[in-house]
Amino acid sequence: MIDQRNAPLAGFTVVEHAEGVAASYAGRMMAVMGATVIKVEPPGKGSALRCTEPLLTQEPAASALFHYLNVGKRFVTCDVESAAGRRLMGELMARAELFIDDTPVARRAPLQLEPELVAARHPQLVFLSVLPFGAAGAHADFQACELNVFHAGGEGYLMPNGLTLEMFPDRPPVKIYGHFAELIGGTSAVCAGIAALLVRDEVGGQFVDVSVQDANVSVGCFAIQRLGDGILENRHGRSFKYGGVLECCDGYVGVLTLEQRQWEGLVKLMDDPDWGLDPALRDPLERSRRGAEINQHLRAWAKTQRVDDVVKKGQALSVPLAKYNAPADILESEQSKARGVFAPLDLPTFGLVPAFTAAFQLNGEALALTRAVAEPGADNEAIWCEWLGYKTAELEQWGQHGAV
Amino acid sequence: MGPSEQVAKPATAMPPLRGVRVADFTLHAAGPFCAHILALLGAECIKIETAGRLDIFRKPHPVYGRMGAATFDQVSSNKLSVQLNLKQPRGVALAKRLVAVSDIVAESFRPGVMDRLGLNYETLKAVKPDIVMVSVSASGQTGPERDYAGYAPLFGAAGGLGTLTGYEDGPPTEIRHVMDHSTGLTAAMAVLAAYLRKKRTGAGQHVDVAAREVACGFIGDALLQFAATGVTSRRTGNDAPQIAPHNVYPCAGDDAWVSIVVTTEDEWRAFAKALQRPEWFTDARFASAQMRWTHRRELDAEIGAWTRGRSREAVTRILQAAGVAAFPSYTAQDIVDDPHLNGRGTIQNMVGPDGESRKVVGPPWRFSLTPAKLERWTPKLGEHNQYVFGELLGLRADEIEELVASKVIY
Repeated sequence: MIDQRNAPLAGFTVVEHAEGVAASYAGRMMAVMGATVIKVEPPGKGSALRCTEPLLTQEPAASALFHYLNVGKRFVTCDVESAAGRRLMGELMARAELFIDDTPVARRAPLQLEPELVAARHPQLVFLSVLPFGAAGAHADFQACELNVFHAGGEGYLMPNGLTLEMFPDRPPVKIYGHFAELIGGTSAVCAGIAALLVRDEVGGQFVDVSVQDANVSVGCFAIQRLGDGILENRHGRSFKYGGVLECCDGYVGVLTLEQRQWEGLVKLMDDPDWGLDPALRDPLERSRRGAEINQHLRAWAKTQRVDDVVKKGQALSVPLAKYNAPADILESEQSKARGVFAPLDLPTFGLVPAFTAAFQLNGEALALTRAVAEPGADNEAIWCEWLGYKTAELEQWGQHGAV
Repeated sequence: MGPSEQVAKPATAMPPLRGVRVADFTLHAAGPFCAHILALLGAECIKIETAGRLDIFRKPHPVYGRMGAATFDQVSSNKLSVQLNLKQPRGVALAKRLVAVSDIVAESFRPGVMDRLGLNYETLKAVKPDIVMVSVSASGQTGPERDYAGYAPLFGAAGGLGTLTGYEDGPPTEIRHVMDHSTGLTAAMAVLAAYLRKKRTGAGQHVDVAAREVACGFIGDALLQFAATGVTSRRTGNDAPQIAPHNVYPCAGDDAWVSIVVTTEDEWRAFAKALQRPEWFTDARFASAQMRWTHRRELDAEIGAWTRGRSREAVTRILQAAGVAAFPSYTAQDIVDDPHLNGRGTIQNMVGPDGESRKVVGPPWRFSLTPAKLERWTPKLGEHNQYVFGELLGLRADEIEELVASKVIY
């Protein structure tokens, strides 16, 4: 595991005031990359995400999503609805380089979180605002959840394609698993936040307005390009003409042959069937025209095959193929183990559990997970007393008044 | 300093990565999107190509059953283009000289290719000790499957995201370009962090991004749930556990849809009122979140009957006014026509040197002081040979001519 002293964001302090997935994910990635991330939650039960599915335990409700999104953070409670709570969070912000916030625009003024006021009070602070439609514009006040921003970004309309669409052509579009659009928003936010940190010494703090919709339009930009080429993409037109999801006798594989040598490898993988050796199919456009016929052959062949054999033999022939892996496959795969992408995390009730770290290595080492999620306010003593210098008695007094 | 003075603080008009140079060896979609993000943030991104093997996304190819250039422009505007034939030793030598005057190197060849070219991290580190390098590949630079070939849907398959996506009673589903681009976005995030560290410590890093692991990152909750409890998430279509309504509903028009989500009791009451369905308040099937979840298919049918005769915009207007999360399922046309997105600069109109105009996706962030920008039209192949080889690397005109004649600059 990586030496935390060398983690890229070591030494930075981030205050995260976030209820949603996108902003929480931004904080997560900064924590995993070494920043000290202090998550501010309302006193009592803390964030509503703590009880959001999927769950690790039902009673008490413990969210796998929350644990995933908040690994590596410190947890303090603070009632920002109260003057005392706002003053305390202000003290945290005064000591931080970056502030992540997803308070809806209309609620920022009562909480004294308007960008102008924050800039005046904390001129060196990067204020990273992460909202579904951004902090400005006609839709800035719109309510939105994952499903809404996924469709607002354009990819929602274009899912599914291929085999799923063939089987269910009349159903509504289908979403990508989980919180795809919001995690894209969170990743985009980290890019912007780090960019602002890069120039902080030169220009000071600034307000960075991140929109989850913008981030998803950005990653879906190919549809905009196609539109410029005169093609309005839809679910049917976007399907690959042949290949895609194939059902084997023990699971599913995906195959995609964009280059001639890959197609030739696929024919070889199928032991050179007569139909595959048809000289006309050497022409890629002819293959596209006869995609339905090719798929019939491919699907019949695949049903006689085992997934692992197809992937192994196919990849040896340079055919782009992959197994549709379930979580168990991923956790147990030699590739995951060799890469060290899962690190032990000490979870209450479960003990040490392998948890996903990040999709990248730095200098050949996977990132570390330093601390699991703790109860709301678990770090109150450490942050308010040891770090900010308040007395334990004061902390207790605030607790009696509900401020922490 | 008072609030008014702070607000008056002028934008520098300089994007945050101004002065940072990227030697960009990336091809296809994922790697170029990483470099695109850096270019939007202001980096001088020099895309290295050769006429001998064009980026597959620049040249016409039959991905969708028609021969046409793929989607090169959207990830190439803002970049500079040079030609360099890396099959020639002098091409590799020039590449090293370019790296020597760069801050970041980006590449997305299959693992091992940069080694074979003599351009791996260790070699480049010897050329530029503090270089930050990002490698983007299907499965990463290490491990028994590092040589596996792949494209976006296969990253989604291997990483589990495609496995968990789809209808409850259907097969797994392909994740498309967004898989490539989310890989590029993740790579940009990581390389920005590494560059920030380099700026503070002087030490470079090699960032190794695996696309299939990016897919894993989107199912991190399911992976944790399985690791801890042994329970495996399944495909659930548009359902979100315990939340109903949570679906996409048909609207008036051809293939027109609206997404609607109701999460709290307050929203449920506002929703029923907006649909003028007071009887739902006393309907035992919908008496609690749990009951609505249990009867979600009946609820979906009733909502669909209401939305079917209305436009997506009307449904959105009615429900947003009631404080309920609703939004049309946007097509690409909807996106380029959207005043909100145009107002934010997320959609922009670019005019090229020949007067050609097109809609492009602009920077997805708004910086108050250091705005990110779209500044340049897609470069022609080798458009910036003179600037890079002449001005940056100091080659004389006759030297450049000779390198062109020898197909080193090619």
